[in-house]
Amino acid sequence: MNNKGKNFLCVVLWLACLSATAYGVCNQTSSSQADRDLWNQHGCWQDFFLWQYRAYDARAANWNNRGFFDACNVNLEYPKHWNASYLITYKLNDNNDQSWHGTIDYRSAAEAAGGNFHNHIFHLAIDDTSVFGRFTPPDQVKTSCLLYDNNTVGANNNPASRAGDFIHEGWHAWNARWGYNGGGGSCGHFNGPNGACTMSPCGCDYFYFHGVSVYVFGAMWENNGTASRFHSPNQVQVEFLCDVADQSSAPASVKVAARADANARAAGRFINGPGYRCGDPRPW
Amino acid sequence: MSQIIKPSGQQLLLVLIAFALLIFVTACPRKGPQNEPGAQGPQAKDSPGPPPSTILAGRTLHNPPALTAKGDEARKAVAAFIDWAGASLPEEHEDGRKALAAARENQDVVKAFTEEITKAQRTDHSRALLALSLLGEMRSPATEGFFHDFVNQPFPEGGTRTEEGEILQQTELATLQAKAIDALAYLHSPRADEEVLSQVQKHPSIIVRSEAIGAYLWNQQDKEAARRKLLQFVRKDEQRYIDQITRVEGERAASFNPKLEAYLKAHPEVAPPAPEGQRQDYGKPDQAPKPGAPPKY
Repeated sequence: MNNKGKNFLCVVLWLACLSATAYGVCNQTSSSQADRDLWNQHGCWQDFFLWQYRAYDARAANWNNRGFFDACNVNLEYPKHWNASYLITYKLNDNNDQSWHGTIDYRSAAEAAGGNFHNHIFHLAIDDTSVFGRFTPPDQVKTSCLLYDNNTVGANNNPASRAGDFIHEGWHAWNARWGYNGGGGSCGHFNGPNGACTMSPCGCDYFYFHGVSVYVFGAMWENNGTASRFHSPNQVQVEFLCDVADQSSAPASVKVAARADANARAAGRFINGPGYRCGDPRPW
Repeated sequence: MSQIIKPSGQQLLLVLIAFALLIFVTACPRKGPQNEPGAQGPQAKDSPGPPPSTILAGRTLHNPPALTAKGDEARKAVAAFIDWAGASLPEEHEDGRKALAAARENQDVVKAFTEEITKAQRTDHSRALLALSLLGEMRSPATEGFFHDFVNQPFPEGGTRTEEGEILQQTELATLQAKAIDALAYLHSPRADEEVLSQVQKHPSIIVRSEAIGAYLWNQQDKEAARRKLLQFVRKDEQRYIDQITRVEGERAASFNPKLEAYLKAHPEVAPPAPEGQRQDYGKPDQAPKPGAPPKY
């Protein structure tokens, strides 16, 4: 190949890379049944999404090609983002004698506002499909196509798993807020496989077992430097998903998806696992 | 009439570079108002709907579609039933169970469910999971072969691997196969029980092995005999899964907490070590504008 040919090829490859950056790789042409069932409960509620973008600090620059200006189109990423927020904000039963934690806890972990749960964070979407989500210190909660795209492989493109990931990533911010390193592995968890955790090379946590009603609502952030009062990111995610499955008024498709995700995580992501199982195994 | 000018290689290169710069500018994160917290709100192209309270008030409850059709009509009925079931609320759960039990002997409905599951497995994981749940709840002997084949679908050895090491294709299939295991255990026939026990031992995914343990135990009357049976199949390093703590729907603290206490006493090895890191308060004041309380419906 002569020099001109090489230059041409180089420019074409560069253009291809840039195009991927500009327009993303997430497929935004459909939504899961679970997303649609939850969506149909609110029918695109404007008052809510006009509150949500501020509560989650979702910025137009990060979401403008992902439905930020087409917020009633459930196939797009930003509408799916606020759909998951709706689940966290309104659908939990908050039964102090039965729920692991309350809406106030899960909201505080997921939302942007700084406080006892974490310092200020903001939400953005990424096209990196090597992660479901990622907390990039000091303040970025990123969620990926794997939680939105209904056209590619995966079990997590539903509002329960997406909301669970908001809380999981928010909990990495909690670790940073309180001086914990999450296990020292390359991904903010312990390396694995380790004990009952099958993740390899990373993604393992401990489960810090606690009873029902042990944390009053609003106190999930509490910690004392020991294992007696502590939560790991996968644990808060499992507890949230369990509360959606067993302690919520979400549509059935969302509850079924939440239970499956919770039990899958409880089975394989804890070094001292399994974690709690959600609900009995009756099929429906 | 227009003249067609053939561009030289250099001209083409310049055009491409200019185009690339244009895309680069589009791709660059904006430093302007769009990236300021709360600066610009989302907009809708369609007209926003009424508040959720109005939508929920207008919904007819306790009215599942009938599952009595035959032939091609059964396919439509099953599709409509899955739509209804997915959107159903907790207070409609028993309505769904009754409708499914009443359709137990309808072979066309069973077949239509299996077709929906096969289709949804390729297109919508949440619908596949839902349809598997519903077919399992029917407890029809005619489903046994389908569920047996489903849990024996070849398990992918590789696929799309996340940084943490999860293989997406494995999790996708394992969560569906775990639901099929629930169905087999609930069916509780000798062949179905045998299959569940077999999967306790041989399935490559802990997601399915764990579900098989829990589902087998839950569906057996004699729990002690079931535990003894399970011990013959469960992998040695997974015996703790037989005692896995479950919070069932509606269970209160007074019931759950003693179970947890007993589990921790029986398995002192699950006590976690102190968390890594030194507890320190790195809290910073949040200067960002506050959104206030979420809207009420």
